[in-house]
Amino acid sequence: MSDPAMPAARARRSLLKTDPGTSRRNAAERRFRAYGAAAVVVAMAALAALMFTVFRDGASAFVQARATIPVVIAADVVDPDGNRDPAEMAGVLTMSYGRLLDQALTREIERRNIQVEGLTQRDITGFLSAQARADLRRAVLADPALVGQEIEWRMMTSSRVDGMLKGRVTRDTAARDAKTSVAQYDLAMALRDQGVVRAGFNWRFITAPDGSDSRPESAGLGVAILGSLYMMLIVLVLALPIGVAASIWLEEFAPKNRLTDVIEVNISNLAAVPSIVFGILGLAAFINFVGLPRSAPIVGGLVLTLMTLPTIIIATRAALKAVPPSIRDAALGVGASRMQTVFHHVLPLAMPGILTGTILGLAQALGETAPLMLIGMVAFVSTYPSAPPQGLLDPASALPVQIYNWTQRADPAFFERASGAIIVLLAFLLAMNLIAIWLRRKFERRW
Amino acid sequence: MNQMTQAERSVQTGTGDVKFECRDVQVWYGEKHALKDVGVDILDKTVTAFIGPSGCGKSTFLRCLNRMNDTIPAARVGGQMLLDGEDIYDPRVDPVQLRARVGMVFQKPNPFPKSIYDNVAYGPRIHGLAPTRADLDAVVEKSLRRAALWDDVKDRLDDTGTGLSGGQQQRLCIARAIATSPEVLLMDEPCSALDPIATAQIEELIDELRDRYSVVIVTHSMQQAARVSQKTAFFHLGHLVEYASTDDIFTSPKDPRTESYITGRIG
Ligand SMILES: Nc1ncnc2c1ncn2[C@@H]1O[C@H](COP(=O)(O)OP(=O)(O)O)[C@@H](O)[C@H]1O
Ligand SMILES: [Mg+2]
Repeated sequence: MSDPAMPAARARRSLLKTDPGTSRRNAAERRFRAYGAAAVVVAMAALAALMFTVFRDGASAFVQARATIPVVIAADVVDPDGNRDPAEMAGVLTMSYGRLLDQALTREIERRNIQVEGLTQRDITGFLSAQARADLRRAVLADPALVGQEIEWRMMTSSRVDGMLKGRVTRDTAARDAKTSVAQYDLAMALRDQGVVRAGFNWRFITAPDGSDSRPESAGLGVAILGSLYMMLIVLVLALPIGVAASIWLEEFAPKNRLTDVIEVNISNLAAVPSIVFGILGLAAFINFVGLPRSAPIVGGLVLTLMTLPTIIIATRAALKAVPPSIRDAALGVGASRMQTVFHHVLPLAMPGILTGTILGLAQALGETAPLMLIGMVAFVSTYPSAPPQGLLDPASALPVQIYNWTQRADPAFFERASGAIIVLLAFLLAMNLIAIWLRRKFERRW
Repeated sequence: MNQMTQAERSVQTGTGDVKFECRDVQVWYGEKHALKDVGVDILDKTVTAFIGPSGCGKSTFLRCLNRMNDTIPAARVGGQMLLDGEDIYDPRVDPVQLRARVGMVFQKPNPFPKSIYDNVAYGPRIHGLAPTRADLDAVVEKSLRRAALWDDVKDRLDDTGTGLSGGQQQRLCIARAIATSPEVLLMDEPCSALDPIATAQIEELIDELRDRYSVVIVTHSMQQAARVSQKTAFFHLGHLVEYASTDDIFTSPKDPRTESYITGRIG
């Protein structure tokens, strides 16, 4: 029986000729694909531009110009009483060691027969980092046998000289800069040509604590990295078990009623709360109410835990939901209790998702700045926090806050440091993402 | 097994005692009354088939027998179900213990994504049925042999269970279910995801299992019911319409609805 709704036998067309409808559809598909590709190109270009500028500005932070010159540790300067007692030698101030270094540099210039027009004492004093005197003093106090000897001493140059070797400071800008001079520039070039001043990898940038405003060359990320590490530790130890336990309860045990609906909606809301609000909460609750110290990793860790919890809960619940119900049926069917079902079967299968979510939550927390500034982690900290658990109460900095901090300082050398710190932060984030991918691959199971 | 004649089978019919005694069983899913006044006696050492059009409540009733419905929050169960004279819905009964005695095989093969050995050993382990490793090995071997899988997998017990073929997976699930030495084995359309050869193997297995267990099988295939079961219950729209020996159901059904169904007019 023929169906009246069907169009009467369509005229047969050649398959070799596309009809207008099909061409339109194909064109639309091509357009859509082009839009998609264009979107990807835009995203990749933005990422490439970001990476390019960060590396252009920041890569040089990992390199530091250092001068190696023979220094005479004159006994009459560093040990006026002549008894080599470190306690008494500690009375000699850093300033005196500066004089030793100035003398050493002057001698070296003469010895190498370097002629620089208009070179002043100020250019020589300002050639080496103020940190160099402090380092020398520490070395001598640690080893009084050095007194009276001549040692080959390698030390940091000032940030301006460092900038000259890196090309940041040119002869022209040196002329206009109150902190340096053309003569200092010429001296730096001459010493570089003779191999006295050399650029080398700058471990201190990663290990040293922050430096004062006048010593960008000595500023490092050590305290910030430790602080961030401590906070991540706290977040991991607190947020993972709490988040997983909460998710398991919500997903596997909670009755579906008004109360759990409200909880569920609020967890999603919590994930959307701006981080600075968590900072205010941390300030009010942990510092003002509980009385924990400011700037301490424990407070930062607690605030970041609160912030990370919703992320972990949402990821964990998604991972638990993705475990096929047939696995739960199978376990219950052989007489496993609900808890056995969860811990023997569901949780292991959800593990990759949970770990991925946790690491992404940690990565998010690692880059968080605003709440940490509110709880005082923006302070200048030049001493390392001690080992946990005591160290969790010591003042510390954090990577993103340190970056912000450096961008606020006047000396352009700090801008280089800030960009370098961004590279370090990105490296940590990349490492965490790689770990997440690796875990997902490792635990991935098919069912 | 498939070649077994009607006569052979009828001889073996109804040899068991009553295992499950069910009276006035009701199930609601929320407001929906899915199962109404079902009363049935399920015999020991007998294969009982539940047939009926889809959505008529076969699975629902089957899942009442080991209280798997407890896991569905909306489900409410009423009436009386006695296993060896004990009410399985008594508040003192722990469903976990019940399920060790009333095993279940599901429609889709659902082995754990663990080794074949661990799949079978899981039940005995959690119920403490095999105190030593040697005991456990013995239980695993015995269960796999009973499930006619031992020869296929004895050299690769450490391979994952999900890597087996569909039919082998379902036999693994049967081995897993019988490893806890249940008294009743519930099977919900165990062959619907399998090809005809695997189906024939499972059916053969079901017939062999009958000498020890009371087997209840839900099937949408009347041929399968006719091939493997001695008793058949026909469900329709939540009612148990007719329950009799398989021969009677297929040769002289009493209810017109049963007749319509087996002759293919409803379903
Ligand atoms: N989890 C559930 N929630 C709500 N209704 C259900 C649920 N499971 C089954 N039902 C309903 O109960 C009736 C019987 O289902 P079921 O026992 O699965 O049928 P069968 O196995 O005979 O095809 C159907 O109408 C179905 O829609
Ligand atoms: Mg069903």
